[in-house]
Amino acid sequence: MLQPLRETCRRLLQDGTVQVVIGYGQAVRAVEPYPVFITDPDDVGQLVWNEQCRTNLVKYLLRKEIRVLGKPAIVVKGCDERAIVVLEQESQIDRSQIVVIGVACDGMAEPRCEVCDAHQPRFADHTIGHATNVAQPAERRYAALCEFLEQPPSDRMAYWKAELERCVKCYACRQACPLCYCERCIVEKNRPTCLDTSATLKGNFAWHIVRAFHLASRCVGCDQCSRVCPEGIDLRLVNLSMARASEASFGHRSGTDPQAELVLGNYSQQDQEHFIR
Amino acid sequence: MSQVISKPAIRRLVERWLRQGKRVIAPVQVRPNLVSYQPVRSSDQFLLEGFVRPLNSIKQVVFPRHEQLFQYRVRGKQIDLLPAPLPDIERIVLAARPCDAVALPILDHVFNWEFRDAAYNRRRELTTVVTLACMEHDAHCFCTSVGSGPDDTRGTDALLFDLGDQTLEVRCVTDKGQSLFAGQTEASTRTAAAGPGPERRADLGRISEQLEQAFERSEWAAWTNRCLGCGACAYGCPACHCFDMVDEGGPTCGARVRNWDACQLGQFTLHASGHNPRSVQSQRQRQRIYHKFHVYPKKFGELLCTGCGNCTRNCPVSLGVLPVLEAMQAEEAK
Amino acid sequence: MTNAASPTPVGEFEPKIVAYVCNWCTYLGADLAGTNRLEYPANVRIIRLPCTGRIDFNLIVKAFEIGADAVLVSGCHPGDCHYTSGNYHARRRWILFRELLATLGIETERVHFAWISAAEGKKFQQVISEITSQTRDLGPYHAYREICEV
Repeated sequence: MLQPLRETCRRLLQDGTVQVVIGYGQAVRAVEPYPVFITDPDDVGQLVWNEQCRTNLVKYLLRKEIRVLGKPAIVVKGCDERAIVVLEQESQIDRSQIVVIGVACDGMAEPRCEVCDAHQPRFADHTIGHATNVAQPAERRYAALCEFLEQPPSDRMAYWKAELERCVKCYACRQACPLCYCERCIVEKNRPTCLDTSATLKGNFAWHIVRAFHLASRCVGCDQCSRVCPEGIDLRLVNLSMARASEASFGHRSGTDPQAELVLGNYSQQDQEHFIR
Repeated sequence: MSQVISKPAIRRLVERWLRQGKRVIAPVQVRPNLVSYQPVRSSDQFLLEGFVRPLNSIKQVVFPRHEQLFQYRVRGKQIDLLPAPLPDIERIVLAARPCDAVALPILDHVFNWEFRDAAYNRRRELTTVVTLACMEHDAHCFCTSVGSGPDDTRGTDALLFDLGDQTLEVRCVTDKGQSLFAGQTEASTRTAAAGPGPERRADLGRISEQLEQAFERSEWAAWTNRCLGCGACAYGCPACHCFDMVDEGGPTCGARVRNWDACQLGQFTLHASGHNPRSVQSQRQRQRIYHKFHVYPKKFGELLCTGCGNCTRNCPVSLGVLPVLEAMQAEEAK
Repeated sequence: MTNAASPTPVGEFEPKIVAYVCNWCTYLGADLAGTNRLEYPANVRIIRLPCTGRIDFNLIVKAFEIGADAVLVSGCHPGDCHYTSGNYHARRRWILFRELLATLGIETERVHFAWISAAEGKKFQQVISEITSQTRDLGPYHAYREICEV
């Protein structure tokens, strides 16, 4: 896999199709590969591919520090790729100006890999390898959430209190999320202040409600937010709850269909309203 | 002769401290692979072994991530300001790493510089720091490169060494440490030593001058452009101390509060005019390195870094000060 | 800890209810209730906004932060929105938002939604009375207040 990946990147850089390749490189000491930005075809040897390439690199398509490097090619897995689909639907990127190199993935030993149905990239311009894993049945996707929701509300609240107690508001969850792209996040609005910036339980609940809900029906479940949290706060359950609701109520799975209508921003007169008096 | 104490005895001591109403902060296994300094509620909750370094730091004990400075109340045309009471609860930090404790005297400079920060200093007085010498290190530790080491006693009141077989050697460094363990230890002939510590990973002898030369280098972007601009490095750092002050509340009552802030966040230097003097991430990264290895040493005579490596450990993309310094020095060497 | 189980002596607890209502329908419905002298509990604090489409989910959270025991969000019936589709957009958001609240363990029985037109003074009276008595049974929302204590 690695050789065809490097060759594809070399070719793209050499013939001037792209100016930069956003891929994975091997850090000197860190176990996990880290993002690298290759601009010289002779440097493609820095690219790596292994079972530790968990990071979703899509955020870099939006970062101005990377945009100045020129037209990009980006290495993605089938799951990461969904974020590119959403960014295009939301008019954040010009897909024709990005070359997507999809790499088949048989799982990175993360919880989401156990329920993955996107081992093989579907929308990439170049696809490297063939995934051998089979798609997992859809009903398993929300198993963790369903189990969590079996607890009474007071226990769920207690769980989140214990988790969010540790949040220091470093905003790594936001900064790493490929779909958090507001130029000025609502939590940074201070004329007037909308949410408490304090990392108190009150401010943390307010922040995490906003973060989760601004991703409602948009989150592609790459788990980047949970992966980067230095305090180990697992945000998957809130993300899953939004994903499940948008699939159950609107038949929408974010980033799986480039032609699909976005859930929020559209409406149907037939939307359910059993809960409205 | 040395002084020793058994681990069960330390746990019983913690039980007593908690009963006395003291606050005990120690490494807690939050989940597998994740150890964090947390307030301890019971004597069996914390770790005395089996971890390299908690992901956060003990600075939160003296410089909390959120604190009220005063409250305001508006009654008609009258505005009452109610200063926050000074802290009065005694705190004991237990089994901290030396690279955390070392940061406290470093922080003392800035909190007593032009303005003597009363709350900070009060917390310092109320805090007793018991450290645990490191037997192991990981790939990100570089204490030896900043002139510290696995058994550094700076900022420590009492240093513990693991003797194995559930016993710790206690070396009291200050009077505070003495009084904490007075009558609690037994004399022994056994002594322990810390682990070897990490090999020197960077030569920082001339770092301030090197940085002075490197300010205008175009490579800062290449060294740092994977930075995503979050505050994970600063908030996990034992020495970072930037804060923001905001008013929270409503038209009739509220509080002025002080919260941690981080120089990698885009809004950190954003002016009210909309201008941002550090408009791209490489400038923010450069600032962080400069503050730690050039500005602080010039002003206070020592580095603002204890070599704990938490910045890299916590970084979503394995950046942090050491990889940047290494990239810079590699470029210099060319 | 929820308080659903802890009995509050009747007469001691007066629930605070925040009602975010749209300017064109529910606010006028409330007005009509008033001019028709339809009595409803004084526990409700009405906050008027242009449209349910404008009612940010944050406002619901904010209400709990400052001590509400229940929140009502109400606006024009489907098809009646002054801005054509604001209430349809709002409805979609609420479908999703209720799930988030449930996952976080925030008591969804304290968050109410209603369509109340300008002609439905009677319905306004009924809804407020129902919510007030339900909330009285639920007791004060200590759980969220605890979160908000520094």
